[in-house]
Amino acid sequence: MDPRVSLLKEFYRGLPRDRAKLETEEYGFAFLARLLTDGVTLEYGELTPFGLVHKYKLACIPERRMDDFLLAHVENVCNICLYFDVRANDTFCFNLDNNHQVNSSEIIPEMEVAVRELGRHLRGLGCEPLIVASGRGYHVWGRLEAAVANERLHDFMLRCGAATAAALHRQGHDHHQIKFTFYPDPRVHHAVSLRLFGSRHVKNKVFSRILTPQGLLDESASWEFFADHLKNRTIALAQFQAAHDSLPGPS
Amino acid sequence: MKTIAIDLDDTLNNFTETLQRMQFVRDETHALSEEAYQDYLAKLRCGWTESGDLLSTEFSFFRYKIHQQCYERARARTDGVRFTQWLRQNHWRIVICTYRDLRRAQDCTRKWLADNEISFDYLFMTGNKIGFCRAWGIEHLVDDEAINITLGERFGVNVYYPAAERLPAPPTNPVRTPAAARAFQTFDEIKPWIQE
Repeated sequence: MDPRVSLLKEFYRGLPRDRAKLETEEYGFAFLARLLTDGVTLEYGELTPFGLVHKYKLACIPERRMDDFLLAHVENVCNICLYFDVRANDTFCFNLDNNHQVNSSEIIPEMEVAVRELGRHLRGLGCEPLIVASGRGYHVWGRLEAAVANERLHDFMLRCGAATAAALHRQGHDHHQIKFTFYPDPRVHHAVSLRLFGSRHVKNKVFSRILTPQGLLDESASWEFFADHLKNRTIALAQFQAAHDSLPGPS
Repeated sequence: MKTIAIDLDDTLNNFTETLQRMQFVRDETHALSEEAYQDYLAKLRCGWTESGDLLSTEFSFFRYKIHQQCYERARARTDGVRFTQWLRQNHWRIVICTYRDLRRAQDCTRKWLADNEISFDYLFMTGNKIGFCRAWGIEHLVDDEAINITLGERFGVNVYYPAAERLPAPPTNPVRTPAAARAFQTFDEIKPWIQE
């Protein structure tokens, strides 16, 4: 097995692997017929606004087919996005998107401040984040040593997000410029998926580089950082609980 | 295999009528005062759009929640239901093609289709239905959207649209080309058109 596939399977071990969203430039009924074999079913498809990029929400994926999809993902043939477990997860992710309709893939000044502040906030709590550049901003992942109930994860992220928005305000920025979403979200955990690390942006084909306090890494360094993060930066449950308990609640 | 794409809102159902006439009730998930709720509802019903450049706003969230209730409660056209069943009996491949955000609306859409016994093979979302049909080699589209009625012919897609007062007049084609859009009063009218 490609070592990058092994890394992805280990990092995202808690996410269900019987369903996925596939992003690809392939389309047509002959392609669909090939895709929907081995019991794989299509929930819905999408033609995106970006050229002929299509997305397919797939279910009932057998393990062998998911391995094939992950290999295609690391080989940049397609992008694979996974969904969160409906009850508890050992990963969580802040999705920071440029909230503008025009030039939505630009990294706006507010985004740089927000991702820096969120990263600093999480590190201050002892929860080292893995920050991945996405199409319209950043995915800020945390990986836990064991699964935590979704409600608790969401509450933790909501409070960290509020602290980030407050930091933006203190620095004279408008938090509405950024769309904050937190996953897993108990309201939509079967509806929204996230691209795995190692993807290429559907529009500009740019690799999902990792952001460190020193800056964006290139593709090779990003994979090395990803492997190191997996090995050394997984958050202990006691640390996460202490971090959550330390955050101010709603007033 | 012969394939046809069919839209949902204001084609197979009465979405706009539902939006205009249904009683909507504010709850705590809207996070709005009654005054703001009624203001947004009036704006939504008259087709108001926000002037700003932001993608996700208080109003866009409100609009989605109201639309979702319309998706669930809109009435299916009985002739449309019969038409999809006829297509199935005659071995057509049926693609439901919608602007809806199926990430959030898939479950309620599938339930509505099942409850109304509407036959279909695949569910697709796209903001560019003509582009989708052209890419997938689908020659026939049943849809109410003016831009699709206008552009279908140029891209070789036969568009059939429900005749209604609010729709634009059909494109003028003194000599009708195979892909010129055609208005229908009942879905039965489409059957011979797609077999020409």
